Amino acid sequence: MIVVNTESIPGYHVTSVLGIVQGNVVRAKHVGRDLAASLKNIVGGELKGYTELLTESRRTAIERMLSQAQELQADAIVNVRFSTSAVTQGAAELYVYGTAVKIEPIVQASTVS
Amino acid sequence: MMDMDLVFGLFVVGLPLFMLAFAWAMGVWISNRHEADLAQRELAVAHILVHNTGRLQDAVTGSQPPVMITSEVTLGVDHFRGFLGQWKSLFGGQVRSYQMVLDRARREVVMRMLEQTNAMGYNAVANLRIDFADISGSALARRKAADISVLASGTAYYVATKS
Repeated sequence: MIVVNTESIPGYHVTSVLGIVQGNVVRAKHVGRDLAASLKNIVGGELKGYTELLTESRRTAIERMLSQAQELQADAIVNVRFSTSAVTQGAAELYVYGTAVKIEPIVQASTVS
Repeated sequence: MMDMDLVFGLFVVGLPLFMLAFAWAMGVWISNRHEADLAQRELAVAHILVHNTGRLQDAVTGSQPPVMITSEVTLGVDHFRGFLGQWKSLFGGQVRSYQMVLDRARREVVMRMLEQTNAMGYNAVANLRIDFADISGSALARRKAADISVLASGTAYYVATKS
């Protein structure tokens, strides 16, 4: 499946719009990571544990969105957007949404003539 | 007995000062190293076209279709800068120490995206979006030193190279 965050896909045109698909995930950090991060935070620099947490959350949210799109038998998801919200202290929601569409490859005019 | 009081007094005053000085020195070292690292990595991906418009100008269909690329990074603000930031917020005004960390976080997150794009063989990124994530619940307001999480997303595609 083609997933893009633009409205169009070069080389393809959209034949029908199937609707919004979405995925969300709420993840909390575990205490070990919190402790390691708070120590690292004294001197600054990258907090790798939190970066990993975000990467994993994003992957899970995208997977959920993809499975919704597969149920609709979509070929592609366009205009994908992310948003985050802090639910409570120590937990955050990652939400991803996009438009599931049917696409067809564009037959190039130059090859026809 | 006087000596004991003196040692204790020095310890009470000295420890927080030492921690601040340590955080300052390490913070400066880490951010300088990061900036030097970024400057070098930027050279390797300088040929990639990046824009934040949704239209894919001059797009050519390559061997693979366009793909969405995401990246994220979390940076901590060292305690010295956090302390400066807190102090600054008493009077208002620009908080440069935070600005610099935010700037580095954004550069890093875009860099990671471009490196992924490069590794996958694409030469352009459209519709670049940069978001700020609050993973620890209003971190900036609650804590002395904040975590800064930045998320980026974009669409990697092929662009016709001028030759």
